[in-house]
Amino acid sequence: MVKGRVFVGAFLLAALASAGDIPQRPEMLSFPPLTFTVPRAESFRVLLPGNVPAYVAEDTLLPLVTVQVFFRGGRYLEEKGKEGAAQLLGTVWRTGGAGALTPQELDETLDFLAAQLTTSVGGTSSSVMLNLLAKDLDRGLQLLFDVLQKPRFDEARLAKAKEDLIAELKRRNDDAADIENREWQRLIYGEDYWLSRLPTKASVEAITRDDLVALHRRIVNPANCVVAVAGDVDKPAVVRKLKTFFEGWKVKPQPVPPVPQPTHKPKPGIYLVHKADVNQGRVSIGHLGAKRPLPEEFAITVANDILGGGGFTAWMMSRIRSDEGLAYGAYSSFGISDRYPGTFRASFQSKSSTCARAAYLTLELVEKLRRGEITEAELATSKNSFIETFPRNFETKLRTVQLYAQDALTGRPHSYWLTYRDNIRQVDAQAAHKAAQKLIRPEEFVFLVVGNVEEILKGHPDYPEIQLAKLGPMTRLPLRDPLTLQPLE
Amino acid sequence: MSKRLRVVVLLLLLPVVVWAQKVEVREEVLANGMKLLMVERHDSPSVVCGWVAKVGSVNEAPGITGISHLFEHMMFKGTKTIGTKNYERDKEILARQDAVRAEMEKEYSLLRGKLRRGEISGSIYDPENATPRLKELKAELEKLYAQEKENIVKDELDQIYTREGASGLNAFTTEDQTVYFVTVPANKLELWFWLESDRLANPVFREFYSERDVVREERRLRVESTPLGKFAEQFDAMFWQSTPYHHPVIGWPADVESISRKQAEAYFATYYAPNNITAVLVGDFDPQKALELAHKYFGRIPRGPQEPPEVISEEIPQLAEKRFLAEADTNPEVHIRFHAVPFGHKDMYAFQLLADLLNRRTGRLYKSLVEEKKIAVGEPYATFRPMKYAGYFEVGAEVKEGVDPTAVEGALLAELERLAQEPVGETELQKVKNQQLANSFRRLQSNFFLMLQLALYDSLGDWRFINEAPARVQAVTAQDIQQVAARTFTKENRNVAIYVRKAGTSEDPELASLPGELKAMVKQQLAQIAKMSDAEKVELAIAQIQQMAATVPAPVKPAFDFLLKKLEKRLAQLQGEGKEE
Repeated sequence: MVKGRVFVGAFLLAALASAGDIPQRPEMLSFPPLTFTVPRAESFRVLLPGNVPAYVAEDTLLPLVTVQVFFRGGRYLEEKGKEGAAQLLGTVWRTGGAGALTPQELDETLDFLAAQLTTSVGGTSSSVMLNLLAKDLDRGLQLLFDVLQKPRFDEARLAKAKEDLIAELKRRNDDAADIENREWQRLIYGEDYWLSRLPTKASVEAITRDDLVALHRRIVNPANCVVAVAGDVDKPAVVRKLKTFFEGWKVKPQPVPPVPQPTHKPKPGIYLVHKADVNQGRVSIGHLGAKRPLPEEFAITVANDILGGGGFTAWMMSRIRSDEGLAYGAYSSFGISDRYPGTFRASFQSKSSTCARAAYLTLELVEKLRRGEITEAELATSKNSFIETFPRNFETKLRTVQLYAQDALTGRPHSYWLTYRDNIRQVDAQAAHKAAQKLIRPEEFVFLVVGNVEEILKGHPDYPEIQLAKLGPMTRLPLRDPLTLQPLE
Repeated sequence: MSKRLRVVVLLLLLPVVVWAQKVEVREEVLANGMKLLMVERHDSPSVVCGWVAKVGSVNEAPGITGISHLFEHMMFKGTKTIGTKNYERDKEILARQDAVRAEMEKEYSLLRGKLRRGEISGSIYDPENATPRLKELKAELEKLYAQEKENIVKDELDQIYTREGASGLNAFTTEDQTVYFVTVPANKLELWFWLESDRLANPVFREFYSERDVVREERRLRVESTPLGKFAEQFDAMFWQSTPYHHPVIGWPADVESISRKQAEAYFATYYAPNNITAVLVGDFDPQKALELAHKYFGRIPRGPQEPPEVISEEIPQLAEKRFLAEADTNPEVHIRFHAVPFGHKDMYAFQLLADLLNRRTGRLYKSLVEEKKIAVGEPYATFRPMKYAGYFEVGAEVKEGVDPTAVEGALLAELERLAQEPVGETELQKVKNQQLANSFRRLQSNFFLMLQLALYDSLGDWRFINEAPARVQAVTAQDIQQVAARTFTKENRNVAIYVRKAGTSEDPELASLPGELKAMVKQQLAQIAKMSDAEKVELAIAQIQQMAATVPAPVKPAFDFLLKKLEKRLAQLQGEGKEE
């Protein structure tokens, strides 16, 4: 086949030589082959004392170095009634001083070195990251290790972080997008799942320094730890420094408990949240996604890409934006993660009168996918895109070591990357069709609509038969008080 | 595979050795005036490709505001070859669309007259204002859209790039430039030359009228449905007086509705000529081969008949302080903006350091407003934005609950005043210079951002800024900073925006506890209260409600008490504003 294509290409090129050598169509261009070999994880991997995996890469492009220390453990570990503790830890861990340095001294020292040292506590993992000029690495590592082991959690900085968090909570209903994301998680995962348990003024006020110390102690443990380093450094020298540190880190290894799984069964139907002063509705449609290992991972990835994941080449964008001009953006995503299931979510924003029409179109496209009406050309475009953009996962040394560190953190085997392109190649129309039928289930769809509900329900005068009410039972969700999250109406 | 770029030692005032990066850029200019900038980086088998047209909303006149942005959308609609099943049929449909649109324009012109005379209200584009003739024409246009659609190969540019493994195809428009970019696999650079030169040589503006629906949705998304979007647009319009920066990049809605294909064609001929374009390639490729491809593909596009016109309008000096007081769905905030200098001005390095001195937790604003005075939440900010023909410097902060925004305003101004009065200390200056230096390296970490910076700098003045700026920042003295601060932070150069939370937004838990029918009544009243701007009238209302509250039945009383509280708060607000003047 390859031979055939080259021949045709050469033939056409010859035929077009008179047109200034520029072929008439881009398909007539022929390209030299490109081979990309996945950089092997083993070539970066080192085991530090305490069985802490580290991925270290030398990169001399710029005189900078990045050291990132990851940990399993995050927001899901928050105690009930102390929601917000993870976010506060993420802030005060860095702002609260460390070792012999007060918060102000730590800030000044890092700023004078022009070093970036950031701490973050996410949903299921946390990290401390240092980036600075390679010449200052020794001083930077000292500060990094102090922040890791001896954070001071200064009370004044904690008070400041709490105050900032409460001010942030007050903004909760200002932007319709925030309301949409919050209610989406509540609807899909249920009110009691950790993702839906959000800080309130009361829970933030209840958090003490001791809570942060306790949460820090649970997360920052060699048993949960993975390290990534990339930059203008000598690998053996950096590994020696890391080894010395981890040897000296004498704490009892204590892994964090696994991430709890959702048990909630969402009730299908239409859920409406009223925000009077916007002229555009935000709509999300979908249900729970999946967790690895998922046999259909590659098939559903391709199917979703064709439905709405692929941007302008996907059906949703093409139909809802390009054909009908009903939205600026229309996308779908099928969330597959390693620790807990993501969500399948098709979403768009459209003026109030056309929200229903765009929702109908979305459903039509979902049905089309479930009927398996994927053309060979669409399939080829999608697969080729995944295969050819794959090397960009390894675009820089830093991205490469971070990728492998993530694997070590979540337990995904490094071989995932070695077989990725073959796995995509094997997806055929039938596999994509079957995966969509199994994993995208319209009868379970939750429709979340945020905007001026009265206007949205009126629909469009030119399309009186298109009514959101026809898509399922309707429930009005109250707007929630931003500080208590209690219903306002 | 990686190679160390050349580093240069700079001499400094302080005895510290500092290293600065030099980006090795190969610059070529084609015979038609198009510039090509190339940087080799072989870490990953791909090339980030971009080109910038040196045109943005600053080049627009009243009546066609938003054309640059609308145009950016048009550049994805295809060419004589791409995006169509039959170009001849295309031409025919498009000509008929233009004819119908011209007829519609006549109707709109009549409607504009009616609107001015008060015979209709709202917008001339509201469906309820449509004349019978207009409805007829609209139906005809819809039919033509349908025919056009049948002849279109949908988003073919995207389809081709995606199928060939390119990613991130996109574009953006600013006040000063329009940038188009995509990342292609290293072996397919010729595809980029083919497709991009084709859309510059043979563009067809399909869906020219229907695309405005998408632009309207974009405006709703970014401007109208965000808490501060619509206010920020008006603050900008207040700030800029005589330069075209006065109008938003997305355009004024009435202008965007009426832009014609003829206007778009004239715009394209002027501003998308190769002599007004710079292309930038960063990644894994051979520059010599790329240059050959550039000659072959871009070289076929003729130079524009004349150079694009210069922007003549200058910003006239502001004579009086301007204040913008807004009630919005937001926590209270204060922003203060001053006219500064454009890109490339000799003072811009001092302005950058000025912003750095104020920013971050070790900066002056945090120390004063957060740590010392405890009147702001989060981190106050300072930002310097140099645009092509003018620039601004802005500081701002979110106000802590219970604090009068004017106290925050005063504290922000005091820090600016201090910079104008006293020279900055050596260590403090060295700290921000160190940060600038490290950041000059950080900015080069990503190939995409390197491409973007070269494109932006070249369209603002000169790409060489990327290599020259680090040394010039290091050369700034404490005296330079003080002089720039003293010149800039004057009362008459000041523009203050104060945002307070709109009264009666749904966040009030007390309101929530009222029974349903009362709540509706109270909400209505709250809207009225928010509009009251006369302290005396508020006092009068308070007296009336107090009287009534004494006599109303018990279940209704909480509503009256609630309103009273709100009125008193409003009164305090109004009196607060009065005091400050």
